[in-house]
Amino acid sequence: MTDSLILGLSSGSACLATCGMVMFPYLMSGSAGVKRIALDLSLFLLTRFIVYFLLATAAWYFGQGLFSNQIVRNIVPGILYVVFAVLLVWYSLSKSRKPDCPAKIVKTVNNRRLVPVLLGVVNSLGFCPALLLILTKGATQLTLVQSYLAFLAFFIGSSLWFLPLPLAGRVKKKEVLKNIGILATGLAGIIFMIKGLTNIIGGIING
Amino acid sequence: MDNVLKSAEMRKSVGKSLLYTLPMFLITFIFMTGGKPNFSDPSATLALVITFGLVNILYFMMHFTGRTDRYRAVLFIIFALSLSFTLIRNMLEMRHSMSFSQADLLECKIPFCHLVIPMMILPAAFTKSIIFPGSIINGFASISSMVVLWLVATIVLGRGFCSWGCFYGGWDDGFSRIKKRPVLRKINDLWRWMPFAVLLMVALTAAMTLMPTYCSWICPFKAVTEFEQITSVESVAKAGVFLSLFGGLVVVLPVITRKRTQCSFLCPMGALNTLSNKVTPFTVKIDKKVCTECFKCVDICPLFAISREDVKKGDISLFCSKCGKCVDGCSKKAIHFGIKGIPAGSMKNFSRNLFLFVSFLFLAVFSSGPIMNTLHNLFKLIF
Repeated sequence: MTDSLILGLSSGSACLATCGMVMFPYLMSGSAGVKRIALDLSLFLLTRFIVYFLLATAAWYFGQGLFSNQIVRNIVPGILYVVFAVLLVWYSLSKSRKPDCPAKIVKTVNNRRLVPVLLGVVNSLGFCPALLLILTKGATQLTLVQSYLAFLAFFIGSSLWFLPLPLAGRVKKKEVLKNIGILATGLAGIIFMIKGLTNIIGGIING
Repeated sequence: MDNVLKSAEMRKSVGKSLLYTLPMFLITFIFMTGGKPNFSDPSATLALVITFGLVNILYFMMHFTGRTDRYRAVLFIIFALSLSFTLIRNMLEMRHSMSFSQADLLECKIPFCHLVIPMMILPAAFTKSIIFPGSIINGFASISSMVVLWLVATIVLGRGFCSWGCFYGGWDDGFSRIKKRPVLRKINDLWRWMPFAVLLMVALTAAMTLMPTYCSWICPFKAVTEFEQITSVESVAKAGVFLSLFGGLVVVLPVITRKRTQCSFLCPMGALNTLSNKVTPFTVKIDKKVCTECFKCVDICPLFAISREDVKKGDISLFCSKCGKCVDGCSKKAIHFGIKGIPAGSMKNFSRNLFLFVSFLFLAVFSSGPIMNTLHNLFKLIF
């Protein structure tokens, strides 16, 4: 669970850095009080939780079919880990990366009650390298409970960053936090890269 | 001409420099002899005399020439080399190998170093346990002595610890001085936040796994101290990480950038010490009345502590380790050691003398043991 939580914690900050600008105005729009913001945020997080729950189930179900052989269970996810980890490092450090978020399509919806739910769905399904990594992890777990736990850790890690969102306007060093988040995401990528390489080497040796 | 001018303001006469060196002379003598001089062993006596002479000559030269960084660096680099020598020698003597076994881990025989401190805090707070397999009080490099030393140094010096107290910093400081001009000049400012990302990651992973993850997986200085015995694919991967980080961040990048890249881009302790710069009374100040905004300090700062914006604002960032390189390098003497609360441009000599006494005393006391030890062992080998 540790690596899933780290992945969530590190990618959550980068996700907030890019998507926060879309979500923040919606969560804070109008003369919303603390209760209203808390409700919107809860709906948003609950939706993310449900989507991750479904993804954990689907990933594990397909994983059982795809990775039936023990060697394949080591080598293929190892390769996927390395590929997605490289993508994650590139994603976090790429200069051309624009502060663009898939959640911006929610702008087209003109229903305040639906916005947090839709934001939750779009944010969870924004197939970034971090989500691809956790999907791979969920798919290779031995039991469904382990897959849920991996996704739960990822959800907790990434959600922590959204909790102070209503206070975002008061944070002075946003740029610094964003930089640290981006670099931490790159480091999480390196951790998964090493994990992937260890899986591949282990699979080859065991084979 | 410029060089003569820039150090002239801080220079002192021979007599005055000797007078300033006298307290250092007495204190280092007491520390190095333990208050009981014993000259029965000729090689130990020779090691003591050389170390004592070196330390005091360097301090004298700081006052006499008005320059700080070059004399600090001499002792700082020798300290790093001699500490590695002492550690390796101890391990070879005790274990006949630089690697430690599982038995050493279980018996808590691993020497403690200050880089573990950022990882100890959360587990100690939540589980009331120390996650490092070292001795708490007894033996070589015990946990309590190292924590107290670091705490005192950090409160007094802030990130100055990284240039006056760290026993690893001398490695990349030394390599950063090899080439006269940098090959690689443009480095994105984003990278200087990397130690904070590393700090975040190692603090969390250590808290979750109750293992010193930085020591187990990242620390480049494992290459010149001790490392895990190679018994599995995982231990090979770890050794690979240690060696490549040492080669890349401690040797190659410092040489081509003339910057202390390991300290700037990796060390989680550096991140923690950066925060402590908020509490220390000592600082480095820019006198805006004198500064011509030539930005030479931006180029020569080895830790990316000064940006062009900082110079324009007349403010040096918290990344500053007070090494003195910018102070020595400023041709207008616009940068100087200062004390918080005293305006920039005033009491320059007083601030420098006070800071040098505290910081150099720390470096001298901390480094003299390993230096004497190294010299003593070298003399035993030679004679």
